[in-house]
Amino acid sequence: MRHCFAVLLLLALVAPMASAQEAYPSRPISLVAPFPPGGVADLTARPVAAAMEKVLKNPVGVVNKTGAAGAVGMQYVAASKPDGYTLLLALSSISIIPEADKIFDRPPAFTVDQFAPIALISADPTILVVPADKPWKTAKEFIEDARKRPGQISFSSSGIYGTLHMAMELLSHAAGIKLRHIPTPGAGPALTAILGGHVDALASGPAVVLPHIKSGKLRALAGWGDKRVAALPDVPTFKELGYPDAEFYIWAGVFAPKGTPEPILAKLRETLRTAVAEPDFKAAMDKLETPIAFKQGEEFQKFFDADGKRLAAGVRKVGKVEDKK
Amino acid sequence: MTTDRVAGIGLALFGAVILEESWRSRLPLGSVAMPGPAYVPAVLAVALLVSGAIIAAQGAGAPRLGAVGWQEWRHAAAIIGVCAFMALAFERLGYRLTVAIACVLLLSLVERKAAASALIFAASMAFGTYYLFDTLLRVQLPRGPFGF
Amino acid sequence: MVETLGNLAAGFSVALSPPILFYAFVGCVIGTLVGVLPGVGPLAGISLLLPATFGLDATRAIVMLAGIYYGAMYGGSTTSILMRIPGEAASVMTCIDGYAMARKGRGGAALSIAAVGSYIAGTVSIVGLMLLAPPLAAFALRFGPPEYTALYVLGLLVLAYMSSGSMLKSLAMAALGLLLGMIGIDQMTGYFRYAYGVVELGDGLGVVPVAVGLFGIAEILATAGQPTPPTVIKPKLRELLPSRQEWREANWPIWRGTVLGFFIGILPGSAHIISSFVSYAVEKRVSRRPEEFGHGAVAGVAGPESANNSATSGAMVPMLALGVPSGPIPAVMLAAIMVHGVAPGPLLIQQQPALFWGFIASMYVGNVMLLILNLPLVGLFVNILRVPYPYLYPAILVFATLGVYAVNNSVVDVWIMLATGVLGWILRKLDFETAPVVLGVVLAPLLELSLRQSLAMSDGRYGIFVQRPIAATLLAVGAALVLLNLYAVARRSVDWRAKMALAEKGEAP
Repeated sequence: MRHCFAVLLLLALVAPMASAQEAYPSRPISLVAPFPPGGVADLTARPVAAAMEKVLKNPVGVVNKTGAAGAVGMQYVAASKPDGYTLLLALSSISIIPEADKIFDRPPAFTVDQFAPIALISADPTILVVPADKPWKTAKEFIEDARKRPGQISFSSSGIYGTLHMAMELLSHAAGIKLRHIPTPGAGPALTAILGGHVDALASGPAVVLPHIKSGKLRALAGWGDKRVAALPDVPTFKELGYPDAEFYIWAGVFAPKGTPEPILAKLRETLRTAVAEPDFKAAMDKLETPIAFKQGEEFQKFFDADGKRLAAGVRKVGKVEDKK
Repeated sequence: MTTDRVAGIGLALFGAVILEESWRSRLPLGSVAMPGPAYVPAVLAVALLVSGAIIAAQGAGAPRLGAVGWQEWRHAAAIIGVCAFMALAFERLGYRLTVAIACVLLLSLVERKAAASALIFAASMAFGTYYLFDTLLRVQLPRGPFGF
Repeated sequence: MVETLGNLAAGFSVALSPPILFYAFVGCVIGTLVGVLPGVGPLAGISLLLPATFGLDATRAIVMLAGIYYGAMYGGSTTSILMRIPGEAASVMTCIDGYAMARKGRGGAALSIAAVGSYIAGTVSIVGLMLLAPPLAAFALRFGPPEYTALYVLGLLVLAYMSSGSMLKSLAMAALGLLLGMIGIDQMTGYFRYAYGVVELGDGLGVVPVAVGLFGIAEILATAGQPTPPTVIKPKLRELLPSRQEWREANWPIWRGTVLGFFIGILPGSAHIISSFVSYAVEKRVSRRPEEFGHGAVAGVAGPESANNSATSGAMVPMLALGVPSGPIPAVMLAAIMVHGVAPGPLLIQQQPALFWGFIASMYVGNVMLLILNLPLVGLFVNILRVPYPYLYPAILVFATLGVYAVNNSVVDVWIMLATGVLGWILRKLDFETAPVVLGVVLAPLLELSLRQSLAMSDGRYGIFVQRPIAATLLAVGAALVLLNLYAVARRSVDWRAKMALAEKGEAP
């Protein structure tokens, strides 16, 4: 009888210690992708989740929470428990949406400080494409023509204040030109619009337009990146052409809600560092024609802040479209 | 109080509310050449108002409101209540528990079926569909606080 | 021609190989399941299974996903016909006459006609896809905002033909639906309209919750509490197949639906549901007995069901010929092949002939499989009607809630379904039709956006609509239809006056 008691007492003492030191992770982790399946965020999220699962030896699942250009998913993660089991794969729009909310005097769906950045996975510079039958052969010609005919050259985008729109806006302000914006409900319809010749230009991620450039339907004029796009070595960057302010990347990064304990954050950072070096992950990203641009810690914070500032300024410059009339 | 009168007035009211809302939230109207966010809704709200008013005005010939037969309203209200419970509890109690409770409520309280058959039905619905969707089709269904 | 046949033969050798056959079969079964369950639609099914395809090769992945896609169009008619609850959004029109046929005891016939119509539409439209994909895609690209505006205006005219009751009531319902479709982020300016801080409403109400609510939930609310439960129809085996007369009535509508659905499906951005609405309206217009519609007209089932199947093949035309998704479902399918390193684009057909022709061939095979799956299942499904209603409708509620939730993992959608359910119930009681509301919700954002895009393109000038040939043609067709209708109405009233005059003359001595 006393034996039993002693064992029970021992167990009672040991049990809470065991649960307190419960290793992270011990439950499936959700990586929230705030865009519909098949989009850039989703397609990037899946290899990331798969690689993380391998490294952590713990299930990591992608959850699509779509809506309002990503705001729904981002708001969901911002409000969730900071225990490391809910992560966000965000695109550059994370910096844009709160600014847009401010312009409309709306309480913001979330703010950028509600997140703790973990790592940057990829950063695709956008490139400027025009239909092949248009007369502009270089970016210079395009910009000069735009200066001569302000507001006459049209471009499509994936939505107002969206990534493709902001890229064009940054260029417009850097080069001092005025273009006509035709928003469409997504990157797909934006591409359809330019392929059909209904608009004159488009800022797009390179992977989507590469097949059309190769087949001769579209012509790439310049890129918004720091370096030239690997698949298009003849296309200069706007930086080279003298517009260093026209820098824009459609980047994807992993975030956690702010307040996640530091040891968990450190573990996630390390996991991602190992994960992006995995050959399977590299192969998956290669297939998507998305170069890996891994940054973390200080580097990522710097990149994120600089990019955020740039985009916020851009959004403020655009202001409320209605006010301009 | 004929059905048409009630419906017409309801629709016209809805149109008026929309117009008032657009005004209050200061959605810009824009112009015919450049319609703003409030333009098309305003046009539609006016159309709804006008058609609602005409329906109400011509509504004398329609059957009386009471004559339509509303006997099922208690039943319908109960079903609405259970559905509302499902919506509220879905993410808080988890899928299986919510569905099980909802089925039990519907079958034993609303439909007055025997408790045993209600429980069997509820359990098989909740766990069966969960298995089908969560395990086989990999739909992420919410789990409640009990891991359920 | 010979080259095409050669390619097709090669395609069949790929499609009939056991692994491809297996994945096509899996896709078809899941598609039928997804279609039968109310609320869960093909987009949900494909999105959920996308990760599962990453382990397969590109051909198997696309074959399975396509199987889910057109399989759902087969299954979607089942609950529509038997219980007036749409299996997925495009089957809303089938609810109207399909259920009326089931009430008359012709449920099995309706299901068979839907299955056969879907098969014919599916198979014939693949021929179109196979032979005409590149030129059709080029044609589809010429549709820009002004053309879409003209098309959607025509779509509005379709509403006028959907009413079996008062025209004024249908117009009011259309206005209501269009207004409900305005909820959400305004694409042109970024304003949130009528969303009241609920971020999930940013993309609008969504056609799935609205369709399931207005038709499914409303149906349950109206029927469940009736003192006499709906008569359980126990059909005999003989009655399961359509009669000769019914086959004859279904013939032309199937062919018309096929052509119509295919062309509407090619256009990027047009929803499937539009093809079934337009088919219904066309059938009603051409029918010799339009008063039958709404009470069990065979054409009202055959046309829309064929249209939504051929719209599926049509939607794949821009996807395969250009690498451009014509909607969310082809977008997911494109993602599935991109993940395997196959670059979608205008050169896909040339660079990946095994993929393209294998895919085409497997669609033929898939349609046959679905026909074989669905026809015998008619007998099984019809027996669902035997389940006592008090047990049946809770099951339907669970599936509907689950399906609507699964689309976006969002409880807000469930609330929308409930709210529109209550609305639909009240509207039914007050003798209003709910189909125009669904069409309005679908059409409103599309119409408004293309109108404002067109005006942005032309800097505010309305002339753009007549300057562009396709848009001008479509608008002319619409104007002609309206004039024809007015003429017919005027003639009838003139006749009526003449008859009155004659009667008076006859009576006066």
